[in-house]
Amino acid sequence: MTAAVATPTRRTSAGTGPLTGTGTLLRFMLRRDRVRFPAWTLGLAAFMSYFVTALPQIYATPADIRAVAPLLQGPMGALFGGPGYGMDDPRLEHLLAGLYGVYVLLGAGLMSLLTVVRHTRTEEHAGRSELVRSNVVGRHAQLTAALVMTAAMNVVVVVLVGALMTGQGFATTGSWLFAVSAGAMGMSFAGVAATTVQLSEYPRAAAGAAGGALGGAFALRALGDMTSEHGNALSWLSPIGWAQQTAPYVLDRWWPLGISVAFAVATATLGYALSSRRDLAAGLVPPRPGPARAAPWLRSPLALAWRLHRAQIVGWALALVVAGGAYGAFTGPALDVFEDAPEELLVVMGGTEDIGNGFLTVLALTFGITVAVYAVLAAQTIRTEETSGRAEPVLGTAVSRAGWLGSHLLVTAIGSLVLLLASGLATGVGAAISVGEAGLVADMVLATVSFAPAVWVVLALAALLYGAAPRALAAVWALVVYGMIVGFFAPLLDLPDAALWPSPFEHVGGYPLEPVSVVGLVVLTLVAAGLAAAGITAFRRRDVLGTG
Amino acid sequence: MSAPVRRTDVPAIDIHDLRKSYGSVTALDGLDLQVGAGEVHGFLGPNGAGKSTTIRILLGLLRSDGGTVRLLGADPWADAVELHRRLAYVPGDVELWPNLSGGEAIDLLSRLRGGSDSARRDELCERFDLDPTKKGRTYSKGNRQKVALVAALASDVDVLLLDEPTAGLDPLMEAAFQACIREAKDAGRTVLLSSHILAQVEVLADRISIIRQGRIVESGSLTELRHLTRTSITILTDRPTDRLGGLAGVHNVQVDGAQVTFEVDGAHVREVVKALAELDVQGLTAHPPTLEQLLLRHYGDELAHSAQGAR
Repeated sequence: MTAAVATPTRRTSAGTGPLTGTGTLLRFMLRRDRVRFPAWTLGLAAFMSYFVTALPQIYATPADIRAVAPLLQGPMGALFGGPGYGMDDPRLEHLLAGLYGVYVLLGAGLMSLLTVVRHTRTEEHAGRSELVRSNVVGRHAQLTAALVMTAAMNVVVVVLVGALMTGQGFATTGSWLFAVSAGAMGMSFAGVAATTVQLSEYPRAAAGAAGGALGGAFALRALGDMTSEHGNALSWLSPIGWAQQTAPYVLDRWWPLGISVAFAVATATLGYALSSRRDLAAGLVPPRPGPARAAPWLRSPLALAWRLHRAQIVGWALALVVAGGAYGAFTGPALDVFEDAPEELLVVMGGTEDIGNGFLTVLALTFGITVAVYAVLAAQTIRTEETSGRAEPVLGTAVSRAGWLGSHLLVTAIGSLVLLLASGLATGVGAAISVGEAGLVADMVLATVSFAPAVWVVLALAALLYGAAPRALAAVWALVVYGMIVGFFAPLLDLPDAALWPSPFEHVGGYPLEPVSVVGLVVLTLVAAGLAAAGITAFRRRDVLGTG
Repeated sequence: MSAPVRRTDVPAIDIHDLRKSYGSVTALDGLDLQVGAGEVHGFLGPNGAGKSTTIRILLGLLRSDGGTVRLLGADPWADAVELHRRLAYVPGDVELWPNLSGGEAIDLLSRLRGGSDSARRDELCERFDLDPTKKGRTYSKGNRQKVALVAALASDVDVLLLDEPTAGLDPLMEAAFQACIREAKDAGRTVLLSSHILAQVEVLADRISIIRQGRIVESGSLTELRHLTRTSITILTDRPTDRLGGLAGVHNVQVDGAQVTFEVDGAHVREVVKALAELDVQGLTAHPPTLEQLLLRHYGDELAHSAQGAR
């Protein structure tokens, strides 16, 4: 007994190469990701299975599908879907693989790049790698284990999606080709992440660079697919393009995935090569220095609030302009398509008589609620300023509580207005070009901007919760979700007016389908002002939250 | 031209019977603290004793539950903004905005306080060896602390509230910090310096208050506090020393061969020295209590406890 305890177990097989310890690290990563691994893989499969089961409901007959075919073949289908293989006479599986499939591809890419970053640069940045590497672990073990684990996740996705599609009775080759293309796409971005994690010291920068590459890949293929049928050279520059050019259920070609594999191997090899040239925890790109002095305008709580919210507002504005332009451009084709659209859809759009205005009204509501989401997220960053301890030094200077919170609220309120204006302008321009009616620009701007007081009410409620019960701030999401449900589904559900009343989005009128309700806007603005004032008062009376 | 002298008869900080609790946890339990104008006051105590809570009440960040607090003769909760023009604060845990550079943070905080001397700011950056061009997220804890220190010390204020300001600084930077505090004192500024780094307070403070479990347990100058405490004496002698343990005011007699170590209450030193004269003492060392010993006497149980916890 004692002998057994005293005898150390010697590993005769223990190597000393750069990959030593990979197996142990891999088991450790699987243990750490025992929730995350199934959440991602099952989540992606569930996402696909939602489309697989939902589409037959929406498109009950082949005629239903043919009715939307012109739309899918056009630039819109190319922008949001893919190169449009099989769209001349589409069946369900063509829609699934060629249109909705791109979101599974994006999901696989995102899953892979986040997994690689999480298990390499995040670990290094947190200093845990140092501890691990001081043991019998080779130089390349961590990256290798992360890549093997990502590959395992992608294999699971391939198996689940393939089984799902064949189980639905779709052609075997096409189904497995689509599933494998998703896995290949995932590994392409695992390779990209293996490279980007070498560049910067910061996990966020590494994930941001890889995510930017994913967005760039999407944009490249969108441009290519929009400008020529079945894409052109631009589509073929994109990893998403390679996955989509397999054309499942149409051409069923496997060879484009060869490019994906070669790309994944090349980027991963580059990652290994770069990692040998740098120190642990260091990046190849040194962090950029900032200015040694603050700009002269940065001298008031309002200026600080603007400086802190600026990046968020600009980012949202860009996204909303792109989305607005795209959806606006949809107006012309929408008018043609909706003639044959299912009746339920038309009810949401405000009935059959004025389908153009109905469509624009729904777009305006969509942007109104989207900007409300921005406002709530911005309000949560205000709370983060306080709980992270960054508000305390500022409140320790000659800045009043009211001045600090008021500045953040004012910047967010004006930011919301600017975002509504930007989305309305972009949608209006897109719609005006698409329909050939210049007046739509002003209409759409009025439609979206009229939602500003409703967004302000959401923001002001967030302010009141923040001031009075900061832990309950997240409760404000209930109002946003309620407004969304009521706004989109009230016509279908036949809800009574009393149920609509609590949603601020129901009081702006609903331009251009209905006239703008001036009284509604004034009342909403006053309510928002009252709630915000109450929130600031409550904030002045409570303790500043500590970091603990 | 001499530095402005701000000494007045009004104490800079005057706290009576201050109470504050968080739910069922009592943070401050009748705290009294007086800091004279122009004084460097050491505010000593173990973690969780209530130092940060006191300072945050002085800043008007927390509202007191009871008692009176006057800072420069005004109410820190009601007159926060006006008072903040005359004080600078360095928190114990400095957090900076991730994408603002250190220089931007320094300028911003100084300007929000009412402006600062740009040459003084540069000089302080130099003395603290701080690179102001780095982004907030790239600074280490010590460098974040330097950013807050430079922002505070560059301002022309009457009061400095410093909450464990050197916890992350290396010894070289601590020396720079001590020089800065001496300059602040020469300029007539009042400094409240909270710390559990005793050596630092010993070097800088005119007076010291020791806080334990939300109350001040000792307050006075270093000399006054020493008067209350024991002197540690070690002697070498061949004679029997049994008598020593029986003397009034003698504690903890430890005999190790010819070497005998014991502690004497300040009030009983005279009798003990007389007794020692009969013992044919061959060697004698006596040293005054360090602040460690002052603290040990008050929180001996807790320090022993935390030392065990750290192991």
